[in-house]
Amino acid sequence: MTATHWPRHLNKLRWVSLSLVFTSLILIPLLHLYQTYEATHSYDYLNAGEKFIYNTMESLTKPFTNDPVNALDKIKGNTWSGNLFGVKLSDPLAVVGQTFAGLTIYWPFVITALIPIILTMLLGRFYCGWICPATFLYELTDNVGTLLKRLGVPISHRRLNHNLKYIVLAVLSLLCAITGTMLFAAVYPPAIIGRELYFQIAAQGFGIGIIFFLFTMVFDLFVARRGFCRYVCPGGALYSLLGHFRLVRIQRHVQTCNDCVKCTAICQFDLNPMRDEFGQECNNCSACIAACPTDALEFKINWQDLPYQGPGHLGHHYKQHASIEAA
Amino acid sequence: MERRHFLQQGLALGTGGLVISGSMLGLVRLLAPREVHASTQVIPLPGALADPAAFAAACIGCGLCGEVCPPRCIVFYRRDGAREVNTPYINPEDKSCILCGKCMAVCPTNALSITPREKIKMGFARIDRTACYPWVDRGVCGACVSVCPLGDKAIGFDFGNFYRPVVKDGCVGCGQCVEVCPEPSLPIRIAQPGQQVPRKEYKVHPL
Repeated sequence: MTATHWPRHLNKLRWVSLSLVFTSLILIPLLHLYQTYEATHSYDYLNAGEKFIYNTMESLTKPFTNDPVNALDKIKGNTWSGNLFGVKLSDPLAVVGQTFAGLTIYWPFVITALIPIILTMLLGRFYCGWICPATFLYELTDNVGTLLKRLGVPISHRRLNHNLKYIVLAVLSLLCAITGTMLFAAVYPPAIIGRELYFQIAAQGFGIGIIFFLFTMVFDLFVARRGFCRYVCPGGALYSLLGHFRLVRIQRHVQTCNDCVKCTAICQFDLNPMRDEFGQECNNCSACIAACPTDALEFKINWQDLPYQGPGHLGHHYKQHASIEAA
Repeated sequence: MERRHFLQQGLALGTGGLVISGSMLGLVRLLAPREVHASTQVIPLPGALADPAAFAAACIGCGLCGEVCPPRCIVFYRRDGAREVNTPYINPEDKSCILCGKCMAVCPTNALSITPREKIKMGFARIDRTACYPWVDRGVCGACVSVCPLGDKAIGFDFGNFYRPVVKDGCVGCGQCVEVCPEPSLPIRIAQPGQQVPRKEYKVHPL
C-alpha cells in the first residue's frame, strides 16, 4: 500500500476554508468596532464587553499593522460583495439581480464579478462547496439532522427535480425587474449570513434575513437534505450554469473502483459518482474522494463528464461478468 | 406520449418554481412591513442616486457602506420598509455623517457615486425659529454653526446677532447640526426637496 492518496485530504482543507470564511465574517465587523473605538480614543469610556473586543482585536492586529484605523479598511465586506486589499469582488448573482432591478448594466460593477465568474467557469460550483458561509451552517444542520434521526425525529429526504432552481432564478430575476429592487439580497443565504452577522455585531441587531434563513434550515431538515442548495438557491443555479463546461471535475477511475457505493451515499447533493453522474450540480467539494476506500475518484482536467464506464473492475459484478466471458 | 410527459413535467416544474419564488418573496415581504416613524428622520447617504426608486434598484444590500463608516452613522432598513429592506439610510438624530467619503469610495454599484463634498445633496437644513433658543430669546447657543463641516458656506448667524443661526445655500444636509442641537424638540431638521419638514412628535399617553 502506498502512502495516502493526497486528494483525500482536500475535504479537510475545504472545511478549513469554510471555517476561515465564516470566522472572517465575524471578525470583520469586530475589527470595524475596534477601528471606531481606536479612532475616537474612547477606550476609557467602553464597558467591559467592549473593552474585551478592543483588547482581543488589538492583540490580533498588532503583528500586522501599527495604524489600525486606516489599514484595516483593506479587508471589508462579505461574500456578497467585498473589498480585499483594494480588489473589489462581487457575487455574480448580485450583478444579475442589479441588472434586472435597474434594467441597465453598470459596467464597473460587472467587472467586480469578473474574477468569480472566471473561477467558476474553470472550477464549477466551487463557491458552494468551499466558500459559501451558508454551506458551513447547512452542513452542520445536516449533521444535526442525522442526530435527530437517531433520536427518532422524522427527517425527510424528499427528492425534488433539481431543475427547479433554474426556474426560481428566472422567476426571481423577473420579480427583481417588476419590483425594481434587489430581491436576491433578501433570499440568497450567503448574502443574508454576511449581512446579518454584520448587523448583529456592529449595527442595529439581526434583521428579517435571519428568520428567512431559519426557514431554509427547517426546509433542509424536514423536506429535503441540503434541499435549499440543491433545489431552490438562485445563486447555486447561476453557478451551475456558469460551471457547465468547467475544466476541473471529479472523475471515476473504473479500474480501481469496487462498486462500494460510499461516494453516492456521502454526496450531499444526491449525485451518483459511482455511475459517473456528476453534471453541473457537482460543486467539487471532494467529499466523495475522501470517502472512496480504493482512491478511484480523482480530479481531472476535462471539459465534460465521462459517459457511464460500467461497473468497477474490483467489484463483484464485474468479476462475475469477466469470469463468465472467460469460460 | 414522450412529448406529453415532457410537457407535464415542464408544467409541474414551472408551477413549483413560481410557488417557491412567490412564497420566498411573500415571506420576505411579510416579515418586513413598512413602519414609518413620524419622529424619525431618514436621510439618504452622501452621493446617493437622487431618485429613491433608482437607489433601491441599484443598491445590492451588501452593507459595505456601513462597514467602512467611521462614525457608524449608516444604518439599514432591517424590518421596516418592504421595498427598501437591507438598503442604508442615515438618521442624523442618532448619529450624523462626517462627509468623509469612504462609503462612496467603497460602494461597488452606482447607488453611491464619488461626489465632492460641496456637491453632495443629502437634504437641506431647516431651522424652526419658534423653537430655536436664540431665535426665541431664551439664551445663547451657536452649536450648529460651530460644528458645521462646511463652515460659513452652509450656516451662519443672522445679521447683527451672533447666536441666531441661518442656513445658507451651501448646506449639503449632513445633519451634524441636528446631532449637536441641544434643544430636545430639535428645531433644526434635514428636509428633502419637495418634502415637508418632518417635526418631532411626542407620544402623549392618555390618562
